[in-house]
Amino acid sequence: MKLKIGNIPVKDVVLGSQDSFENGVLTINKQAAIDYLMELDDHITSLDIVIAHPGDDTRIVPVIETIEPRCRVDGRTLFPGVTDEIVPAGDGELKALKGICVTVVGGTWGSFGDGVIDMGGEGAKHTYWSKLINVCLVGETDEEFERYEQQKMNHALRWAGHRFAEYLGKIAKGIAAEEFEEYEFEPVADRAKKNNGLPNVALVMQPQSQMEALGYNDLWYGWDMNKYLPTFVSPTEVLDGAMISGSFMPASSKWSTYEMQNFPTIKELFAEDGKSLNFVGVIMSMLNVALDQKERAAVMVRNMALNLGVDYAIVTEEGYGNPDADYVRCQVILEDAGIPVVGISNECTGRDGFSQPLVTLDSKLNALVSSGNVSELSDLPACATVIGCLEAMNRDGMSGSWGYDENLGKSARDDGSIIMEDNNWFCGDHISGFSVKTMIEF
Amino acid sequence: MKKVICYVNQFFGGIGGEDKADQEPYIVEGVVGPTMAINAALKDAEVTHTVVCGDNFMGSNTEEALSRILGFLEGKEMDLFIAGPAFQAGRYGVACGNVCKAVKEKFGVPVLTSMNGENPGADMFKKDVIIFKGGTGAVKMRQDVKVLTNFANRLLAGEPNRGCEAEGYFERGCRHELFLEDIRENTAAYRGVQMLKKKMAGEPYQTELIIPEKDLVPIAAPVELKDAVVALVTTSGCVPVENPDRIQSASATRWGRYSIKDMDRLEAGVFKTIHAGYDPAAANADPNVLVPLDAVRAYEKEGKFKRLHDYFYTTVGTGTTEAEATRMAEEMIPYLREDGVNAIILGST
Repeated sequence: MKLKIGNIPVKDVVLGSQDSFENGVLTINKQAAIDYLMELDDHITSLDIVIAHPGDDTRIVPVIETIEPRCRVDGRTLFPGVTDEIVPAGDGELKALKGICVTVVGGTWGSFGDGVIDMGGEGAKHTYWSKLINVCLVGETDEEFERYEQQKMNHALRWAGHRFAEYLGKIAKGIAAEEFEEYEFEPVADRAKKNNGLPNVALVMQPQSQMEALGYNDLWYGWDMNKYLPTFVSPTEVLDGAMISGSFMPASSKWSTYEMQNFPTIKELFAEDGKSLNFVGVIMSMLNVALDQKERAAVMVRNMALNLGVDYAIVTEEGYGNPDADYVRCQVILEDAGIPVVGISNECTGRDGFSQPLVTLDSKLNALVSSGNVSELSDLPACATVIGCLEAMNRDGMSGSWGYDENLGKSARDDGSIIMEDNNWFCGDHISGFSVKTMIEF
Repeated sequence: MKKVICYVNQFFGGIGGEDKADQEPYIVEGVVGPTMAINAALKDAEVTHTVVCGDNFMGSNTEEALSRILGFLEGKEMDLFIAGPAFQAGRYGVACGNVCKAVKEKFGVPVLTSMNGENPGADMFKKDVIIFKGGTGAVKMRQDVKVLTNFANRLLAGEPNRGCEAEGYFERGCRHELFLEDIRENTAAYRGVQMLKKKMAGEPYQTELIIPEKDLVPIAAPVELKDAVVALVTTSGCVPVENPDRIQSASATRWGRYSIKDMDRLEAGVFKTIHAGYDPAAANADPNVLVPLDAVRAYEKEGKFKRLHDYFYTTVGTGTTEAEATRMAEEMIPYLREDGVNAIILGST
C-alpha cells in the first residue's frame, strides 16, 4: 500500500462570506458550514465556529476531539465507516491542511474523557494543540439521555467534527500541495530481511476499548473496538482515517483522531524503514477490561508477531491504570517469545511523585519511554477568553478536575483561574509520540 | 539575605571525639567547623546558627535530642536547614537523617544533608530527605560541601531542581515530569525508535522508567472461618446515593464507612457507584455486585462464619495512587481492629 499525503501549510484561518483558500489563508463561510453540519444531524441544537491562534490568551474546555482537516483526492470519504460507507483505507492520495486542527468543544457540557487546551501562557506547553490554529466547533445537542452522565458518547458533536474536518479539507482540494509525505508499505510476504539483513519490527498499538457499552470506544472502520480482536493492519490505514478516537479515557492519556492521522511513532518507524529496520506493520490490539480478554489479546499479538517473523516490537497504549495491565502483559509475552520490546506510555506517580508508576510492573520491561505523569498539578491564571464552559470542570466529572477539595478548592475558580491534574490536558501526555516530556527522579 | 541553620556532631563541632559523644545538644550563633565552609560557599545566604550534638546522645536519646533541637529552632528565621556532611560515619549519618526529617516535618523548610552510600543513614532517610552522595571521609569535605551548597544556592534562588542525577543526590523513588526542548529528537516517538535501535544493536541505552522493586503485600494466612469476624472493603466507589463524604470519582483521597447493620442486601437507589473507571450500569442496578452483602449475609445466617462487621468501607481505585491507598487503609484499620475484625473481603472492580 502506498499513501501519499500532500501537505498544504495554512498561515491563517478566518471566517468570511465565502469558503476559499488563497495565499495560505483558509476562509470559512461560517453559516454555510454550520448549516451543512446541522443538516446532517438532527441532534445538534446549536453550533458555533471560533478560531483560536497560538499565543492567544484563550482557554478551550471541554475539548472532546481534535481532527486534522483533510480530503481524499479520489473523493473517497475521509473516515470510512464513520463519515460514509466502508471502503478501503491505506493507499491513495490525501491533501492535508497543516498547522491547524478542528477542535470539537462542548458548549456547556463536558464528560470524563474531555480535556483542556490553553493557547497561550504557561499552559500552552502542555499540549501539541497549542501550536496549531484551533478551528473550534462549539456545540449543543439534544442528547438528553446522557446530559448528566459522567461518561458521554458525544456522538453528535464528534461526528460533526469529523464531517467538518472533511468539509474544510475539501475547500483546499484544488490547491497544489507544497510538499509530500509518502508512506509505502510493501506486502510483508514479498519482502524478506534476507534481502537487506535488517531486523523486522512491528508496532503494537493498544487503542481504547474499555467501555462495555458501545458508542464510547475507538472505532476501526466504524467498528467498536470493545468487540474486536487483535488484527494485523497496515500503518498507512491508521494514517488514512481507518481509526477514530473515542470519548472514554482521562484526557491526557487519549489518542485523538488527529494523533491517529499523524501517529508520530508510525512516522518515525517509516523514517527508519529500510535503513536500520524493516517496518513490517501494525498489530492493532485493544484494551478490554476483563482478564481473559487481556490474556487472549496478548496471546494473539504474540502469535501474530511470531508468524509475521517480527524480531522486535514497540508497544504503546492509549491509557493508563487498568490498561497498564495490557501494556505490561503484552511486553512480557513478547519478551518471553524472544521478541525484545520498547514500550511507550505515560506514568501515574501521584502528586508527590512517590507512587508506583504503572499499576503492574515486571522486571522484563527494560526499555520504556515515559511521556508524562497524569498526576502533576497545574495551577494557572485565568485566560481573557474561554471557548466552551469552564464550569464543566467543576460539574461534569472531567478527569483530573473536581468540584470540591478541602485543600485545593474547586478546579475552575470563580476568578477564571484553574487548578487540575495533568490528567485533564487534552491528550497532554501525547503517548502517540508527540510528547516532549519525560519522567526523571527528583 | 536568606538564613540557614546547620547541624554537626561533637567531632565536627570541635568538642572532641568518641569521649565526647554523649554531649547533649546545644546551639551557637554563627558558624562552627565545617559550617564555616558552608557559609563561605553560600550566595545571598548566611549560616546564622549551628546546632551541635553528640552522636551517642542522639543515638540513645533520639526523641529527647530531637525535641530539644526543635525547641532551639522555634522562632528562629530559617530558609534552609543543612546537616553534615556525615561521610561514612554511621551514627552521624543517622543523626543527620533524623534531625533533617524532624525539622522538615515541624517547620516545613527544605532540609539537605550529605553522606556516603555506605552510610546506613543514606538508605534509612533518602526517601524523606535530600541526601547528597558524599565521600568516605573528611578529606572529601570541600567537594561534598561544594556539591551541596551549589544546590542550596540554586534552591534558595528559586531555580528549578534538575533531578537527582544532575544534582548529585540519592534517588528517592520520587518521579516527576520534565519538559524537554520542543524538537523532534526529544519526542517520545523519536526516543522510542532510537531506544529500539540501540536495543537491536546490543548497545547500551537508558530506560526512562527503571522498574522498582516490588512492594508486595504477603498473602494472609488462612483464617478459621467459624470464628471469623468478616468486614467488606471495596475500591469500587460504592456509596450511599448522596455520596455524603464526597469521595472523588477518580484519583481518590477520601473514603467512607457506611452502616450495613440489619441490611440483607444493598438496594439499588440507596447505594450506587461514583467510580469513573468503568461502566456503572450493572453496579447501579445491583450494588451487591460491588459489595457482596447479599451473599455474605446469607453465609452469615448459615453460620459459615461468626458475624459480619456492621460497616463497609469504600473508596475509588481508579487513578488513586499507591501512597494514598496505603494512607486510607491505615485510617480504616483502627475501626476494623476495634470490632475484632480478623478477615476482610477486599473487592475491586
